Amino acid sequence: MSKVLPQAIKSKADASANSLWVINYFTACGFLELLPWVGSGYDMERFGILAVSTPRHADVFIIAGYVTEKAVNRIKRIYDQMPSPKYVMALGSCPMTGGMYWDSYSTVKRIDKYIPVDLWVLGCPPKPENIGHAIVMAMNAIKKGFKGH
Amino acid sequence: MPEDIAAALASRFGESVSDLILGERSILFKAEKDAFHEALSLLKTLGFEHLSDVSVVDYMSEGEFEVVYHLWSHARKERATQKVRIPRESPAIDSVVDLWPGAQIHEREAHELFGIRFEGNPDLSPLFLEDWKEIPPFRKDFDTRAYVKKRYEADE
Ligand code: SF4
Repeated sequence: MSKVLPQAIKSKADASANSLWVINYFTACGFLELLPWVGSGYDMERFGILAVSTPRHADVFIIAGYVTEKAVNRIKRIYDQMPSPKYVMALGSCPMTGGMYWDSYSTVKRIDKYIPVDLWVLGCPPKPENIGHAIVMAMNAIKKGFKGH
Repeated sequence: MPEDIAAALASRFGESVSDLILGERSILFKAEKDAFHEALSLLKTLGFEHLSDVSVVDYMSEGEFEVVYHLWSHARKERATQKVRIPRESPAIDSVVDLWPGAQIHEREAHELFGIRFEGNPDLSPLFLEDWKEIPPFRKDFDTRAYVKKRYEADE
């Protein structure tokens, strides 16, 4: 993981990157290894990341785990309620391919067919280290001007 | 061993109750369709006050569904399992919400996934599935893989 050192906020992009607020949608087991980030173990708050309780306050939408046909309709609604710029992060093999539920009658196979996804984190579920790596990548991209959707 | 339960069932229902298996702390048996509700009612009065689950097995080659009631007695610390067979063609069975109100959600699920009608259940509307147009997905003749290939073809 690249080092993130405390720095002065130099631009609006810097400010956004250092204050990502997330709305979590824990559809499944993909959430398990994100938990250490929410707790004090990996402590996402030191990156300025807060979990918010409404999509209207959120910059980042984390979809953790497989998505059912029923859940995908909720996901679209949550996504539509978020203000721009917004970023979507999908955790685990399931939202990418259906994962081990690829032949299930009610699991969608590719979440990016329904909403745009900016960051995929591989794993079943992804390790906390991978999630941390993804977060730092996202912060760096946003600092460089990445606008999401 | 719940031998007293077995004796009570045998004396009350005779031939309508069969294939009785007694375990250390459990009893399992089959009931005929016309006796199944009364048998459950008797079990309830004998202490099996908790309905843990209602599940279904699809015996497609025999043309039958088997509805399985899983009961638990807190007082006796024993498990009772009752099975009842119903025809697979337009399957229907009496609801047990009059005995255990909690049966409502289990029956609703079984209705959605196997298409069994539970007569007397106040709400059998879809629970998990949205816009489902195929046959109930837990039936053995539902080809999951063919459905997935067709439904998600564009995603590949
Ligand atoms: S990728 Fe693995 S951990 Fe994630 S939702 Fe699928 S099965 Fe669960």
